[in-house]
Amino acid sequence: MLELTGVIPAIPFFSFVLLAVFGPRMARRAVSVIGVGSIAASAIVSGIVTAAFISTPPAGWSYHEVIWQWMSVSGFQADIGFYLDALSVVMVLVITFVAFLIHLYSTEYMEGDEGYSRFFAYMNLFVASMVTLVLADNLLLLYLGWEGVGLCSYLLIGFWYTDPVNGRAARKAFIVTRVGDTSMVIGLFLIFHRLGTLNIQDLMNRATLQWPVGAAVAVAAAALLLGGAVGKSAQLPLQTWLPDAMAGPTPTSALIHAATMVTAGVYLIARTHVLFSLAPPVMLAVAVIGAATLLLAGCSALTQHDIKRVLAYSTISQIGYMFLALGVGAWSAAIFHFMTHAFFKALLFLAAGAVIQAQHEEHNIFKMGGLRRMIPITFWAFLIGGCALAGLPLITAGFYSKGMILWGSWSSPQGGPVLWIAGLVGVMLTSLYIFRVIFVAFFGEAQIAVEHPPRLAKNLPMVVLSALSISAGWLNLPPYLGNKLWLNDLLYTALPKVAEKQVGWITEDWSEGIITAAFVLGLVLAYELYLKHRGATRPLSDNALGRAIHELWYADWGFDFVYDKLLVTPVVWFAQVDKRDFIDKFYDGLAALSRACYRALSATESGRMRWYAASIVGGTVVFIFIVLVL
Amino acid sequence: MISAAGLVAILPLVLLAGTPVALMLIIAVHRSHRMALGLTLLGLAASFGSLWIAADVVPQRVTALLRIDQYALVYFGMIIAATIAVAGLAYGYLEQHAVEKEEFYILLVTAALGAAVLAASSHFVSFFLGLEILSISLYALNAYIYSRKTALEAGIKYLVLAAASAAFLLFGMALIYAAVGTMEFGHMAELMMETAGPNRTLLLPGLAMVITGMGFKLALVPFHMWTPDVYQGAPPPVAAFIATVSKGGMFALLLRYFYRLELHNYAPIVAVFTIIAIASMLGGNLLALLQSNVKRILAYSSIAHMGYALVAFIASGMLAVEAVTFYLIAYFVTIIGAFGVVTVLSNGENDAESLQAYRGLFWRRPALAGVMTAMLLSLIGIPVTAGFIGKFYVVAAGASSSAWPLIIVLVISSSIGAFYYLRVIFALYAGAPETAERPAEVAPRMAFGSSVLVVLTLLLIWLGVYPAPLLHVIRAALPG
Repeated sequence: MLELTGVIPAIPFFSFVLLAVFGPRMARRAVSVIGVGSIAASAIVSGIVTAAFISTPPAGWSYHEVIWQWMSVSGFQADIGFYLDALSVVMVLVITFVAFLIHLYSTEYMEGDEGYSRFFAYMNLFVASMVTLVLADNLLLLYLGWEGVGLCSYLLIGFWYTDPVNGRAARKAFIVTRVGDTSMVIGLFLIFHRLGTLNIQDLMNRATLQWPVGAAVAVAAAALLLGGAVGKSAQLPLQTWLPDAMAGPTPTSALIHAATMVTAGVYLIARTHVLFSLAPPVMLAVAVIGAATLLLAGCSALTQHDIKRVLAYSTISQIGYMFLALGVGAWSAAIFHFMTHAFFKALLFLAAGAVIQAQHEEHNIFKMGGLRRMIPITFWAFLIGGCALAGLPLITAGFYSKGMILWGSWSSPQGGPVLWIAGLVGVMLTSLYIFRVIFVAFFGEAQIAVEHPPRLAKNLPMVVLSALSISAGWLNLPPYLGNKLWLNDLLYTALPKVAEKQVGWITEDWSEGIITAAFVLGLVLAYELYLKHRGATRPLSDNALGRAIHELWYADWGFDFVYDKLLVTPVVWFAQVDKRDFIDKFYDGLAALSRACYRALSATESGRMRWYAASIVGGTVVFIFIVLVL
Repeated sequence: MISAAGLVAILPLVLLAGTPVALMLIIAVHRSHRMALGLTLLGLAASFGSLWIAADVVPQRVTALLRIDQYALVYFGMIIAATIAVAGLAYGYLEQHAVEKEEFYILLVTAALGAAVLAASSHFVSFFLGLEILSISLYALNAYIYSRKTALEAGIKYLVLAAASAAFLLFGMALIYAAVGTMEFGHMAELMMETAGPNRTLLLPGLAMVITGMGFKLALVPFHMWTPDVYQGAPPPVAAFIATVSKGGMFALLLRYFYRLELHNYAPIVAVFTIIAIASMLGGNLLALLQSNVKRILAYSSIAHMGYALVAFIASGMLAVEAVTFYLIAYFVTIIGAFGVVTVLSNGENDAESLQAYRGLFWRRPALAGVMTAMLLSLIGIPVTAGFIGKFYVVAAGASSSAWPLIIVLVISSSIGAFYYLRVIFALYAGAPETAERPAEVAPRMAFGSSVLVVLTLLLIWLGVYPAPLLHVIRAALPG
């Protein structure tokens, strides 16, 4: 059954072509059937492939298939080939399944929209690109998927393109991630130049043979790939595009944040983990970036009014956890958190979308209230998603995956107390900011009457994702619950186990206990500040220092401001001043020369036959002369 | 005498030769455009099918004149397929004109036969015979819409200039024969090595003059002057035919001639080809730069593309044959597609040649604009089209033999080329949808041409995405 692998990206790709060409002339119903059905089919096929992979594992727990060779010219070979192992199996299953639920939800969310078929065409292409990225057996094909994802995010963020703000947000996302992509391409060149192949397994084998641990080349290659990952996964210092990316339709946000796009960077690092293992400084950088990002984004999330922006910062923060896990070598913990995050973040976005549509497109949580009674299913969905995000102990999935990451950040050889404490503070912040949203928007007095309460196509995905946000954590039960690590055992066939060193006085049970305490602290704070004593935060923000911090956090620590002053303004200024420098002169000169050549040569095309004949004769004479003299 | 296997080997040629004869006999009895097209396609299809039969017995030397090998068969396939496409495009075009339509196909298939003979030729006699079979049919095809002044001009210009270059070619052959005493490529290499003294003084100018004859057909600078005028005056399907079949047959011969005669060992000859390649790449692209006639743009573009193909050819090595053949196939598909769009847009009064006629085409005929865009992108060499793989191959072949000056010129002239291709693309999408008048429906008689365009576009993308099977065939085909 593993031969079906190639079908998984092919189905959404063909439905994209179908929708792009015939979509505008199709009935809405047909668009829904094709747009959603293709992803459903893709999810079913990946389910079959996963079942086959687990029940009868292929030799070496990996399956490689070259569908065709794109080209092979003088040593450079580009294949369209797929590589299936535990890592890509888990990723693909989660991506297609969550994407299917989001597509289903979209049929209701987008029902009144003009660009209905365009929306589904883009979404299908998005999924196809992401699956290609994950299944690619070589970095070139991976890069194709990578760029496809980037293109689709641009198209979807700017989906309502008549509003210039959306177009601006789309361009920002595209340009900022481009910085990372450029770094990644250079990394690809370096790897191909030094190792002579782009096939991921081959290059990792060759790298271990040729490069000692800590070799400068390995560090450079890993750092360049990290640059790409940081851009796509919205980590420091390239995280600024993600909050603005909320301009797109909410299902798009769900897709970008949960199943696709931002997790691409995490996947890239996990996929090429051997390269990173050869470069300890880069590993450290990954961990530090992750820890710093999760704290900074967590603080920013505390101050946002826009329900979607809170979720955007929470995504940045949660991907920070995954980076932290990758950085300390807890590969499987990162993928575990990717999976649980995919479920609960998709759930949160879908619930937020339902809230926004029920509240006349209102995004500000402080203008909402009392939604708990009015749209109960959405409330419960958001509550479960929020609990999973914050890590409600024992019940929700987020608790297990986050616990594993924190334990890794303490116990792995690359880890230590600093990273662990950063993660712990993050837990408290997460719990505080998400319960802030829940208490403010869903409790208290109703402020806006509900219209468009969610119907079946919206509720069903929310219910399914709620169930998954709870149950997915049980795939990896920690020691005090029997130490049944089903998912980890599967992932260990593709990724190395996390090494444990002498850990001091804290055991895994202790770590989990302290996380619980951090969670409760955040919850109680949120309860006190936002439910019991509304307005209790006012004294905090009334003094100058408090206001300054609030402003700073609200503006994402001023990154946009700094980039604007440091990069955008100088570049624009320089471009203005330097409109006519010598480089331009050179190109202008080239253009002028080309034009002059065109005129001179055109004059030879006189239409006179004797002149044409003379050219033939003249040319022959010159050539005879050359042949005889040389 | 020709053996039985030899007869099987030349079966594609026999079928190609038989088709015009059958057409002539049928037309004498009953005129029907539809039937003429049907018979032509049938004959071409049969000839195409017979390639597989011939493939079982090759390589075969059929008399001293022809050498049918895998290489020749690949080029037969290209020539026949291109002729099928041209015939399909010509049908709708001819329907719009008050001329005798049936004879067109006689001339077309005869010309294809000439090109095929060139591809299989290993002797000066078959070289010249093939060339003249091709040329004489083309004179008439160029001037086929004889009520038009430009068509007559195209025919006459082509006639006179082709005759002039053929004179050089014949003289060159005579000089070579005088020097080495044979006209067969097979022995020529050794005999040429031995020539010295006055004989060598005969030989080298002879080789140079043969280049003139070839250069004319390939429209290489400085033998290119006729190209824009002829492409402009000739019916667009015929222009597509000249740009592809005629040049493809000649290129096949050039490769074989060059390898059999081991001309790589003659530095002056290589130098001449290098000059020609550079002049063609730069000249072709610069001439097209600000041109506003689409047919002339395509004419200049074809000059430049032959220059690109020469880069791989000069770079030598067996990668060169592979690269040139693939490049030519990509070029065939693209140029026929581009001229196909011109054909489908043309009407009885005038051909769609001014750039103005293409302004805002997307808003009137989106599918046609899409096809044209795909073809132009392939000419630029954008990935996912056949043109990209072709160009990549050429550059790889050049780089593998360190022909850096040629590659630098190729890169510079390609970027000049991108400018005028993009100009056409911009024109296609210019203008707001509301200002454009309601689209004229595709004339039903063009339906056949439109389906040819669909096939070509699919082929273009298929070759760009999945070239492996074709490359497999090409790799097995080396000129013997």
